[in-house]
Order: sequence, then C-alpha cells, then structure tokens
Amino acid sequence: MTNAREISVEYLARVEGEGSMRVKVVDDKIEDVEFSIFEPPRFFEAFLRGRPHTDAPDITARICGICPIAYQMSSVHAMEDAFDVTVGGSLRELRRLIYCGEWIESHVLHVYLLHAPDFLGYQSGIHMAADHREVVERGLRLKKAGNDIVALLGGREIHPINVRVGGFYRAPTKKELQALVPELEWAKDAAVETINWTAGFTFPEAELDFEYVSVCHPDEYPFNEGNIVSNKGIDIPVSQFNEFFTEEHVERSNALHSRVRGRGAYHVGPLARYAINFDKLTPLAQQSALDAGLEPVCNNPFKSIIVRSVETLYAIEEALRIIDEYEEPAEPYIAYTPKAGVGHGATEAPRGMLYHQYRLHEDGRIADAQITPPTAQNQLTIESDLRFVLEQHLDLPDPELSWVLEQSIRNYDPCISCATHFLDLTVERV
Amino acid sequence: MGDDGAGPVVIDRLADRVPESVVLVESVGDATHLLETWRDAGLAVIVDAVVSGGVAGSIQRIDGMQGFPSAWRSASTHLVGLAEAIDLGDAVGVLPAAMVIYGIEIDKVEPGVGLSSAADKAVDEVAASIVQLCEDYA
Repeated sequence: MTNAREISVEYLARVEGEGSMRVKVVDDKIEDVEFSIFEPPRFFEAFLRGRPHTDAPDITARICGICPIAYQMSSVHAMEDAFDVTVGGSLRELRRLIYCGEWIESHVLHVYLLHAPDFLGYQSGIHMAADHREVVERGLRLKKAGNDIVALLGGREIHPINVRVGGFYRAPTKKELQALVPELEWAKDAAVETINWTAGFTFPEAELDFEYVSVCHPDEYPFNEGNIVSNKGIDIPVSQFNEFFTEEHVERSNALHSRVRGRGAYHVGPLARYAINFDKLTPLAQQSALDAGLEPVCNNPFKSIIVRSVETLYAIEEALRIIDEYEEPAEPYIAYTPKAGVGHGATEAPRGMLYHQYRLHEDGRIADAQITPPTAQNQLTIESDLRFVLEQHLDLPDPELSWVLEQSIRNYDPCISCATHFLDLTVERV
Repeated sequence: MGDDGAGPVVIDRLADRVPESVVLVESVGDATHLLETWRDAGLAVIVDAVVSGGVAGSIQRIDGMQGFPSAWRSASTHLVGLAEAIDLGDAVGVLPAAMVIYGIEIDKVEPGVGLSSAADKAVDEVAASIVQLCEDYA
C-alpha cells in the first residue's frame, strides 16, 4: 500500500512577493521537494530599460524595503564600471559605512524577531517578546543603531535617497558622524551579548557540503568590492559572473534557478562570506566567533544565526573605525561622463551577493538590465537543505516537521521571510 | 508607485497644513521603525493602502488600540507589518497614547502610473480628516 503525505506551505499573495514550499513523501521516501519564490527584480529589469542610468540606484532600492543600500551599491558600482569611474578615499569609506548600517539593521531584525523564535519555541518575535522583553528591547535598540547610520548617510531611514553614481549627493560632516559613536559603543557590547545568546541555542545536527560564493577583497571583509570567489576554486572578476553562473528555467517551477555552470547549487550569504573571509574579521569578531564554538568555516546552516551575530559585531566595529578615521571629502561625488558600454557590480547584501549588470547607451540611458538577487541564487541550496532535513526528521509528526522545514528556510533570511507571519500551512495525507 | 503610494501622497498633501508639533514620517511599515517613530507620541495617525475587497477609493477609519482588522493583515505591502508592530509595541510597552488608522482601498499598483482618480479623491478626504483630527487633539 502506498502511504503518501504531502506537506504544503503556501504564502498568501502579497504585493512585494509570494512563495511556497511543497514536499511530497511516499512510503517514507522523499519524492519531491519544491521551494518557489516570486522574483520582483524581473519586473524591475524591464522597468529600467530606456530610463537614465541615474535612476537605477533609487528605483532598484525599491525592490527590497529591508536592503535598499545593497541595490543602490550594486547599481552604482555597475555604472561606474561602465564609465571607468573609481571612487576612493572618504567616499569609498562612506559607502562601507552605510553598508554597515544596513547589515546591522537587517541582521538584527532577522536574528531577534524572525529566527530566534524558531530556536526558542515561539510562533513569532511578538510571542517571544512577551517572555523575553529585555532581550527584544536590546534587539530593537541594536537595530536602531544601524537605522541611524542609514538615516544619516542615506538622507532618510526609509528608502534612502542620498546615494548616487560617483558618490553621494551630500557627504556628512565629521561632527554628524561622531554623534553616532556613543550608541555604537553600546552596540558593540550588545553585539557580543547577542553572539553569546545565540550560541546558547540548541541546533539541529547538520554538516553540509556547500559551494560557498562570496565577494572577496584582499584587505577587508567584503561589502562593495572584490573578486567573486568560491571555496571550490572560482576566483573571477565580477565581469565574468555570467560565464561561471547561470540561471536555468526548471519545468515544474516558474522561477529561475541559479547554478554554477557544470556543477549545480551554490550558497551565498553570511555563511559563505564568513567561510571565505574569516581572516579579515576584526580580532574581537574572530575571537567572539571562536568563543561561541564556531570554527573558521561553519557548514551547519542552522548556525547562520550565530554568524549573522558575528557579522553584526564586525559591522559595528567597522563603523566605529570609519567614523574615527573619517576626513570630510572636498566634493561629495566624483564627476564623470557617461558613455556606451556594459558595467557589472557585485556587492554583499545582508543575505548574500547581489549582482547587477547594465548595458548603457552613449547618453547614459539604460539599454538592458540584469539583477540577480541573493535569494534567487540560494533557491536550489534551500531545496537541497529541505531534502536533507526531511531525511533526518521524517519520523516527526507533521507539525514538528513543518516547523523545522520553515526554520531551514529562515536560515537563509530570504526576502520572503517576513511573510512567514502569514503562513497558511496545510498537511495532506493520501 | 500606483495606488499603493496613497500613504506618502497624504503626507505630501499635509505639508504646511498641520501644526509644527506634528511629525510627518514615511515608513515601509517595518515594525521596529514604526515603534521608534511612535515611541512617546501622544497620538499616532497611520495611513496605509489596503486591499480588503472593498470599493476602490473607500476609506476605513479605525482605532488602532482596539485591534487590527484581520482582512488588512495579508494585504499590507509591508515587510513586517503594521499589525505586528502594534502587537510588538504592546508586548514591549512601546505604543502611543492613542492611534488612528486610515485604510484606503486601492486599485492599481503598477509603478509609475500614479494614483487612480478614486484613490486621489480618497487621499484628499483623508488629509482633510487628519487636519481636523490634529486641531481636535490640540
């Protein structure tokens, strides 16, 4: 007799995206695992055609409300690549600083309100707050330290508008930046507490063989610049992204699946950055990671919550360094002349590498755009993880199994993670 | 934005029409941002586009301290939505003394198309209502 059960997790349709997870188990064997997401960047690619290149940072920033800086940064780097513009000195430092702000606010939101409840047995951060009010308040204050950086450099906290090709519309004064220091000093201690807090969680056993892919710079933990590097031999300039990575249509899904050409799934995000760039973390961040029980490479995706906490500490320390060394630039941006060409940009969004490519007309208008977001790149890896988790936990009743499957998806902090508050879960037995 | 830009347009139309003590803030609805925005506020007024099956351009006004309509929870364009922000604020003790929420039923959401005539009219009505609300509160 065939005993089939199907677990389906449907996200209610929302304007910014939708996703679903379906798992089919027949006679205790996994027949199918499918994780699908809606990809809003596809729409934006078409929307950008024919528009001035100067529109790209602010338009693409609207793709994601939680990581607008990543979209702004990948777009301006791509434009500057096409126009042979190099942004250095204080302006380059300010770009790293605003990225620090985004990592802090995004990582802290995910760690405290979206992922920690999975480990502590709560349906949501709101339920968790009722029992752990002080912890949640620490998270809210920590997140605000990141918000304040983005608000100052981005011109406003939400949908920042101060980033432009060549630099910024306005550069902050030294005094404005120094006003952030006292709260960032508090945040540094709070970030160490966060690492220790998350390290105390109970983690499912998992030691997976990932191909980690991250931007890698010889001198710094990556935000904006560097080659694209993997732990399995890839080391290429950003311009060769499409030669080594491809997006393939899978028949059973509407979404495109990213792969390493000739190999398969790969993994972008905190675990990948950490594995490839551990030696570029600050001494305190390295030591805090080791004290938390992490090795320099972590292959347990459930421990990504600790790695996010380590990266939060790094971002706070890096922000303090940049502010301390900051010298006000003579001009807030580098002047340039548009020209026809193709430009590439890959920067590290909180949830992984974000690749942009633009083909530009001679007058600077956009002829074509390609935007490859981290969640799309991780889609195959998420499916692979789900299959692993299923194999490990098939004996669990459906509610517990669904819980750990959702937890597995949240390991990747996908842009749809917010939608898990609206999960409509159904379990079918045939 | 299309009709989903109703909230920001209300802010535009309130400029110079409310007392200086009123702070106008655009938000994507991120719960932590909302909490920080209304922390210590006497009255928070929130305007959001909603899709709840009503007629485009219709307006619903509710008391935010008395529960959040379930029909609006899944219609939000926000990341961690307004409903969660209210619940979280309640859990950690960060809520304004009073809260009024306006929901504007919307139609088209395509980028760049602007407001439909129904949403445009509703935005004017909501802005006028908020001006009156501020006068009454003062």
